[in-house]
Amino acid sequence: MDVLDLARLQFAVTGSLHFLFVVLTLGLAPLVAIMHTRYARTGNALDERMTRFWGQIYVTNYALGIVTGIVMEFQFGLSWSGLSHYAGDVFGAPLALETLIAFFLESTFLGLWIFGWHRLPKWLHLATIWLVTITAYASAFWIMVANSFLQHPAGSVRDGDVLRLDDFSALLTNPSLSMALPHVLSAGLTVGGFVVMGASAYHLFRKTPDQELFSRSLRMGIWTAFVGSMLVVGFGFAQFGPVTSVQPDKFVDKPVAAMALSLMILLGHLLQLAALALVVVVKWAPRWRGLHPLIVLLTPLPFLAAVLGWIAREEGRQPWMIWDRLKVADALTPGLTSGEITFSFIGFVGVLSLLAVADYVLIVRIIRRGPHEIALGERPAPEPVLTY
Amino acid sequence: MEILWFGILSVLLAGYFALEGFDLGVGLLLPVTPDRDRAIGAIGPFVLANEVWLIAVAGVLFGAFPALEGVLSANYSAVVLLLVSWVIRDAGLWFRRRLLSPGFWEYGIALGSLGICLAWGVILAGLAGFPLLSGLLYGLLIAGLFVLHGRRFLDWRLTGGGTLLVTGALAAVPALVPMIGMAGEVLGNAAPSANLTVLTFMVLPFVPVMAGAQIWVWRAFGKGPVPSYF
Repeated sequence: MDVLDLARLQFAVTGSLHFLFVVLTLGLAPLVAIMHTRYARTGNALDERMTRFWGQIYVTNYALGIVTGIVMEFQFGLSWSGLSHYAGDVFGAPLALETLIAFFLESTFLGLWIFGWHRLPKWLHLATIWLVTITAYASAFWIMVANSFLQHPAGSVRDGDVLRLDDFSALLTNPSLSMALPHVLSAGLTVGGFVVMGASAYHLFRKTPDQELFSRSLRMGIWTAFVGSMLVVGFGFAQFGPVTSVQPDKFVDKPVAAMALSLMILLGHLLQLAALALVVVVKWAPRWRGLHPLIVLLTPLPFLAAVLGWIAREEGRQPWMIWDRLKVADALTPGLTSGEITFSFIGFVGVLSLLAVADYVLIVRIIRRGPHEIALGERPAPEPVLTY
Repeated sequence: MEILWFGILSVLLAGYFALEGFDLGVGLLLPVTPDRDRAIGAIGPFVLANEVWLIAVAGVLFGAFPALEGVLSANYSAVVLLLVSWVIRDAGLWFRRRLLSPGFWEYGIALGSLGICLAWGVILAGLAGFPLLSGLLYGLLIAGLFVLHGRRFLDWRLTGGGTLLVTGALAAVPALVPMIGMAGEVLGNAAPSANLTVLTFMVLPFVPVMAGAQIWVWRAFGKGPVPSYF
């Protein structure tokens, strides 16, 4: 593989890893916020356990979202400086806004939520998880604005051999964005719903204690997966009009993009059908043990569909970095050596893949141990004598 | 407008050094810290709020000074070292109590913190045209200042008293010196003023929220029992 292939593969792998964690973050954040709201209102122990259990899974998943995201952001400067040279004046704006007015706040509020148990006033503590949710969605918005610019360079004009920002509002009303953003957000809800369903079905099948907690979670997961999968399929098809209006040959003569697209659509319908069937029997689903292993088996599918969706969107953009303006090959950092890219490839892909596996092992372990050994929100041990 | 954004970039970078400096200093000290739980517990609630300052630096670089993004690829290996070390340090914090043995991750935190300091030395000295060796020495100087700041932080947080301002200001000096030295070059590479106007209008309303959230972290976790999540 040459430098260009390695740089592309590095971005594809870190991007896919990043999204596996981000898509669950987007789906779980509102669910945990709703659970916490219930707990804040009732003060009841079951609501507390439920918030802490799913919150612990949310936070553990978030850890990998952050570290993969850091690597993603800096890769633009490391491997693709041709992009900022050509279009930095346009592409940089949404990225800057994402970091400043979304991620900066999201991370700060998440710290307040994680460490604020038994310390912040009840309603302020609740506010932090809602702020985390809002800023996570804002973050998705700005990233999709940046990505949509690559699909269709709205709001920009050619000025000599570079692009300049011409109309900021056109960036925000990009036809590549309007249906893709709700598609991504509802993919998050679908993933969140299926994960909550799958983990709950595991506990119900094993007849562990906390049947009530997991019955409730199962129902919440089913409803979320139902709403999410209906919306994700709807917005997915709604995208075809606007996307093909600006990228007419997006899926023409591009076997990888076309295959990823059709496989994603197939999975989408399958998940939609499963969610529809489950929502019909939602009242009895917690008691039907025969159903539970099937639900567990479905859990990886929405993740697969989500990654396939990005492969379709980004492979369909080839060979352009910015559609009809800048080729991927021309966006590569000039003079990037194969030694450099191999070094960073091993560093990023190697370390992040290992950590991703470790994080999933940990999430599975948290799920299996159940809601009785949750570190998040533990009451602090009595202060020891100061020995530092 | 360029001057405003140069100011924002400088404040964010200096803030990153002054804030993340004590997290990294505590990380560097871990191998010789007797009660590691309490040391990590002390920085725990601050880490997420501190490390985002650097992500904001990168955002401002992309948005307001895109022509300067070349500094990243010009310092390729050092930036990769910075990122990989940062990832390992963070993973150490998240996983320490949960996977393998705590000791393994504690050394990961210490080595990651050291890698970050050395990478900064090489990057910042490289900007001024100094060779690799001077960069590594500069990195050791940064690590020394962070250790000082980290020790001060642990004293302040765990036994109380004194101020963090002096060591915090010292920790920010290694970032501010090259920023001032390069002021002319940075200002000359600003995005067009139309861009800066858009960014200013979008960001300005959020500045009080960002400042408020950061202050809230300090008010909530500056004293009281040491939490144990990390």
